[in-house]
Amino acid sequence: MRFKASYNLWLIAPAALMVAVFFLYPLYFSLYSAITLDNGSFTLTHLEKAFELYSNDILFTIMLVCVSVFILAILSITIAATIALSPFKRITSLLGFLYRLPLFIPFIVTAQMMRTFLAKNGLMNNAFVEAGLLTPMETISLLGWSGIIITFVWKQMAFSTLLISGAMAALDESQIRAARNLGASKIRILFEVMLPQITPTLGVAMVLSTVTMMSVLSVPLMIGTGSPTMMSADMAFRVNSYGDYHVANALGLVSYLICAGLAWFYLRQSLKDKGAVA
Amino acid sequence: MFTKTKIAAIAALGLTQFMGVAQAETVLNVATAGGQNMVDYVKTYLAPKFEALHPDVTVNVVGTGPGDAGSHKISEKLSAQKNANRTSWDIDVAVVHQKIGGEMVNSGLLAKYRSNIKTGKMVSRDSAKNALGIDVDGYVMPMFHSQTAIAYNSDFVTNPPKSYDELVTWTQKNPKAFGYNGIKNGMSGVSFVTGWIYAYGSDANTLSSKTYNKDLHSSWNKAFEDLKAFNKNITFTPGNAGTLDMLNRGEIFMGPVWVDMFYSWKAEGKIPPSMKLSLIAPGMPGQPMYYVTPSKAAHPKLARDFIELATSPEIQAEGIVKRFNWYPGIDANYVKSELDTATWEKLFAEITPEDLSQYGKSFPIAPYFDDIKEGYERNVSN
Repeated sequence: MRFKASYNLWLIAPAALMVAVFFLYPLYFSLYSAITLDNGSFTLTHLEKAFELYSNDILFTIMLVCVSVFILAILSITIAATIALSPFKRITSLLGFLYRLPLFIPFIVTAQMMRTFLAKNGLMNNAFVEAGLLTPMETISLLGWSGIIITFVWKQMAFSTLLISGAMAALDESQIRAARNLGASKIRILFEVMLPQITPTLGVAMVLSTVTMMSVLSVPLMIGTGSPTMMSADMAFRVNSYGDYHVANALGLVSYLICAGLAWFYLRQSLKDKGAVA
Repeated sequence: MFTKTKIAAIAALGLTQFMGVAQAETVLNVATAGGQNMVDYVKTYLAPKFEALHPDVTVNVVGTGPGDAGSHKISEKLSAQKNANRTSWDIDVAVVHQKIGGEMVNSGLLAKYRSNIKTGKMVSRDSAKNALGIDVDGYVMPMFHSQTAIAYNSDFVTNPPKSYDELVTWTQKNPKAFGYNGIKNGMSGVSFVTGWIYAYGSDANTLSSKTYNKDLHSSWNKAFEDLKAFNKNITFTPGNAGTLDMLNRGEIFMGPVWVDMFYSWKAEGKIPPSMKLSLIAPGMPGQPMYYVTPSKAAHPKLARDFIELATSPEIQAEGIVKRFNWYPGIDANYVKSELDTATWEKLFAEITPEDLSQYGKSFPIAPYFDDIKEGYERNVSN
């Protein structure tokens, strides 16, 4: 038995080493660099500078991510619920295929696509003009904060719908049938039977989407206009333009904290749920 | 299963390293910063010409990415090899931006080679001796000079602004018709902001060559305030190419661009012929790219030969001026004789040599440059 335990430890050693070397060490190093001077003494100047120069951008990032996640949740739930509850199986299987497509398209490709689609004289507006809905002078460019939200939602929707729709499919079918037999409408089944049971999955989908959105650089660079911009673009700018890793890492620390805050809320929620069950 | 695939992939990657050696006896490693057009130039134009002259040499071209970030990567790689006390470094020739070129000379990464190549004495530009306040005489050969200017659509703008003052008035009359990319999305915007500080903060001479005075930037507050007000009347674009895109689509009628990019796009038909250029007073900055060779390059002689070829009047005329619409790195008089008048005149069709010498400024020395960018972040964008 003892032999086996140590044998098992050896088995996880390579993976543990990978995590330590490629994840924990860089994480520690960037946190350390965010709060120390070059000589290693503790300082808050980098954080102060990060807030002094980028407080607008930090707020902008939080707003954008919140709005995107909100829209994302509504859309993914709608699609997943349609697939789960609709009686038209052919149409829903087509929908099931369509919503998965963005899953295979990288962010940078999505950004480039949106750039030509959302521009003032881009594909979307040209289509409206051709259809006689708008005149060329009435078109507006969606490149900017709205474009970033559209891109995030478009790209993340596949991922979160996949998770949510999976969770809905795993629900006990008999509950839904029972609710139906008792005369519940589809909306009511969704809100009172399905959603309460998939909240943890919804939480996971939203937290993971938030973390992804916080880390994407190509979208704010390609679709945003730089003023204000997202924190990831500021970090890149700090490194590329000033060679200043300290303030970039301080911004990184702020974004860790935002994500950590979310993770904390989520973990607390899911622990509570489990506690209530036990 | 995955591990196996990974091992196979890594092994395959490792093999490719040897394959280069197997093909030819010598591999000359050339790393180039800058956009795709730079990599294309070195890879598809220079490298084959060099390989034709040296049949036993293969040129391995690596692009490290656009902007100062690309140059930064080269500098970081070399200093890592220096700190590891390697006897020979794996980059033979590098193409870097002005600012990082200066920094690399300061940190002892580069060889002083210009007096050892024939084309070394054909250089006349100031930027071959001075890189944003750092003495680089002998360490660098300018590959080309690039300049920023204001592009405008002559169908709509008949009387283009000649100075920053006129531009401000123009944007007040034509709100949202002028566009630039801020300072985080490419150098044409940075250049526009730098020109703004030259106009309303401190003049270009003070900022480009004098010693650093750390209190000077506090006198620019008014300039930044005005810029913030100016920004309300303009459209922000998503990058250097973004400005040209929006000009092309008629979403803006005016904006700062790189001259070489402008000419290339025009030649490819990506922007209409009605687009024109104007270099406004008191001037906008431009910058050279430098050919450098590390102090411990594996093939120093070949590296010098490569740079000598790249800076020869024929190559500068055919490659730099004719194909890529850059201003030559070596003295223009050596290049002019290699070209027909039509090509030569095309290069100066919209910005005359007089305008260029009068309003073509260099970027400020590094600490002032950082002050300008941080001042913008502090006072304008936040």
